Amino acid sequence: MSDAPNDLPEATERRLEELERGLFTSDLSVNEFLLIKEVGFHPVGLVMGSSIYHTGIQTRKWSQSQELTKLTEAMYNARELAMTRMEEEAAELGADGVVGVRLDVNYYEWGKDAAEFIAVGTAVKAEDGVSRRNALGKPFTSDLSGQDFWTLHSTGYTPQGLVMGTCVYHIAHRGIGQTLSTTGQNVELPNFTQALYEARELAMTRMQDEATRLGASGIVGVRLEEKSHQWGSHTIEFLALGTAVAKGPDPVDLATPVTVISLDH
Amino acid sequence: MSAPSPEPVDLKAVVRRAVAALDGTPSDTYPTTSDLTIDEELALHSIGWEPVELVSGVSIVSIPLGWWNWGQGEITAASEAHRHAFANAVTRLHREAARAGGHGVVGVRVEAVVRPTHVEVALVGSAVRPVGAGARPEAEVFLSDLSGRDFTLLSVAGWETVGLAVGSSFVFAPRRSVGTVLGQQTQNVELTNFTEAIYAARETAMARMQDAALALGATGVVGVSIDEGPMSFASHAVGFVAIGTVVRPGPSGHQRVAPMTVVPLDDAVVAFEAHALE
Repeated sequence: MSDAPNDLPEATERRLEELERGLFTSDLSVNEFLLIKEVGFHPVGLVMGSSIYHTGIQTRKWSQSQELTKLTEAMYNARELAMTRMEEEAAELGADGVVGVRLDVNYYEWGKDAAEFIAVGTAVKAEDGVSRRNALGKPFTSDLSGQDFWTLHSTGYTPQGLVMGTCVYHIAHRGIGQTLSTTGQNVELPNFTQALYEARELAMTRMQDEATRLGASGIVGVRLEEKSHQWGSHTIEFLALGTAVAKGPDPVDLATPVTVISLDH
Repeated sequence: MSAPSPEPVDLKAVVRRAVAALDGTPSDTYPTTSDLTIDEELALHSIGWEPVELVSGVSIVSIPLGWWNWGQGEITAASEAHRHAFANAVTRLHREAARAGGHGVVGVRVEAVVRPTHVEVALVGSAVRPVGAGARPEAEVFLSDLSGRDFTLLSVAGWETVGLAVGSSFVFAPRRSVGTVLGQQTQNVELTNFTEAIYAARETAMARMQDAALALGATGVVGVSIDEGPMSFASHAVGFVAIGTVVRPGPSGHQRVAPMTVVPLDDAVVAFEAHALE
């Protein structure tokens, strides 16, 4: 993990120094910017981490459903590298957390098995000077928008971290005999169903484990993504991604929502 | 076949007329043009501002041949061309807005294209001013790629928009040697040479954007949009462009906006279709 490029370009130092002197950058919209100020945070800088990663090869058995551990590991490692680098930038800026985190995978022409994993978000710091870092002493991360962040805060919860679980799974092909015997019939295909179930469960469990490690009481805004990337139709990555949250100590009065008829189009 | 050919359009005369119109002094009877929506115009009026004119600034700067495929480190010719194109377009937008009597330009649409031989930048926005205010010197006109609505919201919260900050950098991603490619074929490894190239482009571009923001007297940059990735015409070149609106607190400082929780009663979007009446 620590073989990261450690000689960062000289522009980095100047950039971070300017940010420490009080300039802030952010990819928040104006609405999000004002809502984050409203909650008592101030944006400190746009933070990013990325890693170009080469995924290895793992042989799959045509008729066997199984997790492809080597590929799972690659997807984990590469995302962790990008996330960790983003967190390090945020920690460098003395931030309490990162909001609006986006995790993307880009494929380039450099190589069929190479992909860029990138994490981008806006680092924020509490204006009252009290640290809001998570249980591990690191800045919290969250993929919630500024609007969701404000709403979450008004319910008394605080984000602890972006948690994810992933599983790359090979789903067995059906034999010719099986295919012929079900032609023309309404039947469930138990091998497919089971394989998809297992892969999803593995990914979800891993995400929950990460949240437990952060001492979270729940995960909000979970997205479950299924992607084949470049592995063909029978190999699928299940990615579960959400923001782990914990209830703050103070009791809150939830405001009654006002009903409005907006004039927007 | 023998249909009369349409009268040839004298493009030069059209441009001359359009430019001459900008020289006229804005008055109460002077027609205004803007690409703001009705909502945005209403929002602007609520804080005492009005649109005056649709203004634009365009620039095309050439890149010398042969810069994209060989070399190492930053592709300076491309970065320079990008910077020049933006600077020229911004200057022209300032000039047009000042001539039209605007104090600033909101809703600037940024269209920037990088091609192998040149960079095109086109900026189009609506010049605005406090209702009935007189002209302002060119250098004091502000630009913002925020919508009229966002501009209003920022002013209500006590913030001023100052200008547009742009940073760009184009960098070569070094090729891996054949031996390395073969050696890494079956492994899970990070390709550090590529990671470094992306980092170099990103850091340089972000630092340039921040320098531009500081030069404008910024406290911050909001709504930064990022365009990054390999150039479609050169596989081993990566580009990174960051654009954002520079803001600073006004004389009264940050004002709380006190949001309310609301449940909108909108229907799903219903678009009016004329032929539905037939």
